[in-house]
Amino acid sequence: MIKLTIDNTPVEVEKGTTLLEAARQVHINIPTLCYEENLSIYGGCRLCVVEVNERRQLMPACATEAEDGMEVKTHSPRVREVRQTLFELIIASHDISCELNCLTCTRQASCELRNVAEDIGINRMRLNPIYRGLDKDLSSYSVVREPNKCITCDRCIRKCEEVQGIGIFANSDRGPETTVTTFQDKGMGNVECTNCGQCIISCPTGALHEVYHMDSVWDALYNEEKHVIVQTAPAVRVAIAEPFGAEPGTVATGQLVAALRRLGFDGIFDTNFTADLTIMEEGTEVVERVSNNEHLPVLTSCSPGWIKFIEHFYPEHLKNLSTAKSPQQMFGALAKTYYAETMGVDLEDLVVVSIMPCTAKKFESKRPEMADDVDYVLTTREAAMMIKAAGINICDLEPEEYDNLMGVSTGAADIFGTSGGVMEAALRSAYYLITGEELEEIDIKPVRGLEGLKKAEVPINEDLTLKVGVAHGLSNAKKMMEMIADGEEFHFVEFMACPGGCIGGGGQPISAELTSTETLQRRMDGIYSIDSSKKLRQSHENPMVQKLYEEYLGKPGSHKAHKLLHTEYTPRGLS
Amino acid sequence: MLELENEIFLEMVHNIQETYGYVPEREINQLAEKFDQPRAKIYGAIKFYSMFYTEPTGKYVIRICDSLSCHLNDSHDLLLAVENFLGLKNGETSPDQLFTLEVVECLGHCGEGPVMMVNDKMYTELSKGRALEILKECQ
Amino acid sequence: MVKERKFLKGPRLRDVSTYEFPGLKKALSLGPDRIIQQISDARLLGRGGAGFPTGTKWDLALQQQGERKYMICNADEGEPGTFKDRYLLEERPLKVLEGLMIGAYAVGATQGYIYIRGEYSEPIKIVREILEDAREEGILGEDIFGSGFDFDIKLVRGAGAYVCGDETSLINSIEGKRGISRIKPPYPIQEGLYGHPTVVNNVESLACAAEIIKQGAGEFAALGTDNSRGTKLISLSGDINISEVFEIEFGSCTLSEIIENLGGGVRRGRDPKFVIPGGLSTAALLPEELDCTYTYEGIESAGSSLGSGAIIVVGESRDLVDILLKVSRFYMDETCGTCFPCREGNKQINYMLSQHRNKKFSGQEVELIEDIGEVIAAAARCGLGQTSLSLINSIFNKFPEELIEEVIHVD
Repeated sequence: MIKLTIDNTPVEVEKGTTLLEAARQVHINIPTLCYEENLSIYGGCRLCVVEVNERRQLMPACATEAEDGMEVKTHSPRVREVRQTLFELIIASHDISCELNCLTCTRQASCELRNVAEDIGINRMRLNPIYRGLDKDLSSYSVVREPNKCITCDRCIRKCEEVQGIGIFANSDRGPETTVTTFQDKGMGNVECTNCGQCIISCPTGALHEVYHMDSVWDALYNEEKHVIVQTAPAVRVAIAEPFGAEPGTVATGQLVAALRRLGFDGIFDTNFTADLTIMEEGTEVVERVSNNEHLPVLTSCSPGWIKFIEHFYPEHLKNLSTAKSPQQMFGALAKTYYAETMGVDLEDLVVVSIMPCTAKKFESKRPEMADDVDYVLTTREAAMMIKAAGINICDLEPEEYDNLMGVSTGAADIFGTSGGVMEAALRSAYYLITGEELEEIDIKPVRGLEGLKKAEVPINEDLTLKVGVAHGLSNAKKMMEMIADGEEFHFVEFMACPGGCIGGGGQPISAELTSTETLQRRMDGIYSIDSSKKLRQSHENPMVQKLYEEYLGKPGSHKAHKLLHTEYTPRGLS
Repeated sequence: MLELENEIFLEMVHNIQETYGYVPEREINQLAEKFDQPRAKIYGAIKFYSMFYTEPTGKYVIRICDSLSCHLNDSHDLLLAVENFLGLKNGETSPDQLFTLEVVECLGHCGEGPVMMVNDKMYTELSKGRALEILKECQ
Repeated sequence: MVKERKFLKGPRLRDVSTYEFPGLKKALSLGPDRIIQQISDARLLGRGGAGFPTGTKWDLALQQQGERKYMICNADEGEPGTFKDRYLLEERPLKVLEGLMIGAYAVGATQGYIYIRGEYSEPIKIVREILEDAREEGILGEDIFGSGFDFDIKLVRGAGAYVCGDETSLINSIEGKRGISRIKPPYPIQEGLYGHPTVVNNVESLACAAEIIKQGAGEFAALGTDNSRGTKLISLSGDINISEVFEIEFGSCTLSEIIENLGGGVRRGRDPKFVIPGGLSTAALLPEELDCTYTYEGIESAGSSLGSGAIIVVGESRDLVDILLKVSRFYMDETCGTCFPCREGNKQINYMLSQHRNKKFSGQEVELIEDIGEVIAAAARCGLGQTSLSLINSIFNKFPEELIEEVIHVD
């Protein structure tokens, strides 16, 4: 063990511990900007510099290992003075102007710069921003980049490369011209970006945010001619209360429904309904393909970030993807057919809105093959902003129920929101579809949790043991694809682009207080608590899905189901 | 990042630039594949170096040093004369793709300023007149 | 009268076929330990600017275990006013090659690199030819001079980034990355190029090493003072009559003697306004401070440092803000852009200076410049950053009446 003192407090730490970690161990907060848990150390912002053994050169706490006998001062007069001036420089590089200001910023309520300002007690600002005049990157359907707000902390670069295994961003140029850019400055919409939005979660400043659909949705709601319906994704309900001050993982399903009803939506439905439907379609496909030994393993197709990833990086494996549309798009397709027909709504007047934990869903809805079935996609953050803007605190509302036609779901649908959930839901029903019997134990624990790669073997009958895999976060997806390429045998593999699955989606509220792992764990706990509290927990038990098949689609995999609920993919490569 | 010790990235990029006059997009894609790195990263690495260009440059790249020692030898006057003659400012390329003008930091001939490089040829102790003659010869 | 003392300088030496490589041959017979002992006894300090003892560096590298080690010659000379390495590369390149090979043999490296800045087209051509000739003559390759020592050298052309002269930036650059400095530790000696132990030495240091081995440590150590052994190549430029590379024995003269006797005095005037004694990262000295002896310790006692040996003389009539802007633009353009204090600090300083042509600075502005200087010196990530405001701050300190508004007290 290494013994040192930090601000005169003795600390004992393992060898290899950084001063930043050591200080946190004794509850001393050292401000940081370029540091992020789970990313490599960058050592750029220098806000975490501390005085070591009274040396003149200050040391970055994030990149300095604790050594025996060190005397560390984290808030000495010199350190505080240096930090204040440094912060003045940082703020001056973060272009604040009439157009770009804190009040209109996407990170108005979750700005890390503001947290740092508070942490260091900044009380002066002597420098004006030097205007850089860089253009916004508006090339993507999902994410906007505002380079004038960027302080070049490189967290988005590292997140994309290290956690997502892609690397669409890089530093370009040098000196004062140093920027974050994409290949050939093409813009996010013109490169191998999967639209996952993880970069947004990592950005401390609001230089990255989703392409807003809020104004369009407001317009639709205000327009009396329009019949506006909304669907809410599984992972939204355990995060939507966070911007209102609730803990991550707080289940607010009914409150969300109530808030949306107050906003004026004409029908409030649940993406869970089509998640159950997805299980029926995808489950049937898996059973068929496994018994025919056709293009195995079957790879899930619910996560649009993952879909774009495989289209770019493994186009030769597109035939392995399930042809089932994602729950969002199944909902859209049914809304513009089944719902419109049942309710007698003119398609001209029907507006379909989604609330998703996801930025890639915005891109998905614009894919040509999806035919604008979903008109607008709001992230969880945007939904919260709209609810706030309507003067509503979601935490104050009494829970209400979804509308009936496409609002009923089972626990299997809820767990779609977390890594392993689609697999677990599929296994619950696959067992039934193959054997005609119900699983004795429907909690399939090996596929749960935050482990990056998960594997399980599920005995179905004497002849068949299903081998399944789960990967979340695209660097894990890459590893899984390599395992498959190396010959590891699977029947069915679940992929989700975001760490933790949709609960960690790029459209989810950004938590300044909690580290991401803690946030994910709490949201995950919330999701499983919903599942375990439901009476119906298997997709094939969903009465409204059964009714849909009886009255409209026929049976899973029918011609009509195929036409509405299945899709195809585009090999993209790196062109 | 580039664990290919027999292939030195900078040398490869120099060679590409010698062939094409700049580093074209498809070559960056190929470098990315060769070094098994994201192509954005390769692009960003190339852009770090001011001698590399990812857009076509003029046939003649004119570099004039305006660092302190040359400045004390009146490099600024030389620069103004060349700017006027070419009708170009720092970083610009002429419409006929003949000249690119770069104001650069030290070229290591501080004792012989002012200096100008035309592609890889160095001219030292330049009068304005001599500099313009050299440029005229290029035309 | 100050005279040059030629330890490194000499007639042009570029023909591999007629050069005997006396230093290298002697080194091969001495063996690694005794080579390093000689270099340590000579008390050679690195000539790139930082002044780290070369013998210690080699010894540390020799102690490192590793399947392979690298030896790099840093010829990325780029600090304005510095051109002494170019002299060696053009006139005495075989000495540099020899020094690199001696170092490689001493530390156990089998692969070497010479990283030359891309703008040095002439030295690149010369070194490329020499390497080809050396390979042909069997000077590079396997079993060199029958000693069992295998070694080859690759030439790497830089591409216009001053910061690559920092050793970890240079290593990143060879690896094909952006030339940004690395977080230390690990030091290059531990984990350098491609993760292997790596020695990076300046051109002049290597030429010195070759001469030390050839002539003996005693010869070198007898020159200079206790703390500054041997000779130093200086690059003299600016407002001075004779502007070239000189070699002087440490301690044999003062800065003003160098300017007067070797440089032939200040151009168009008697006294300089100030002198930069060691390149743009060193503090300016006023005429009355130039009587310090030319040694590491002598210039330090005058309040500056010897740096890379680039002496820039600035004449009396020069406009300070104009000079400051040149210095500032250099650092602003050449910072790698990674660490915030250096990137943003140098940008703000440059902006402030550009707003003050023919206008003095207020007390508050000067305080701000000082504060930024302190942040950069204390918190920047590499040597380039930490010293980037030394010169500018010293000029503000030394020319207050010219730069700073007088404070008018109203009673």
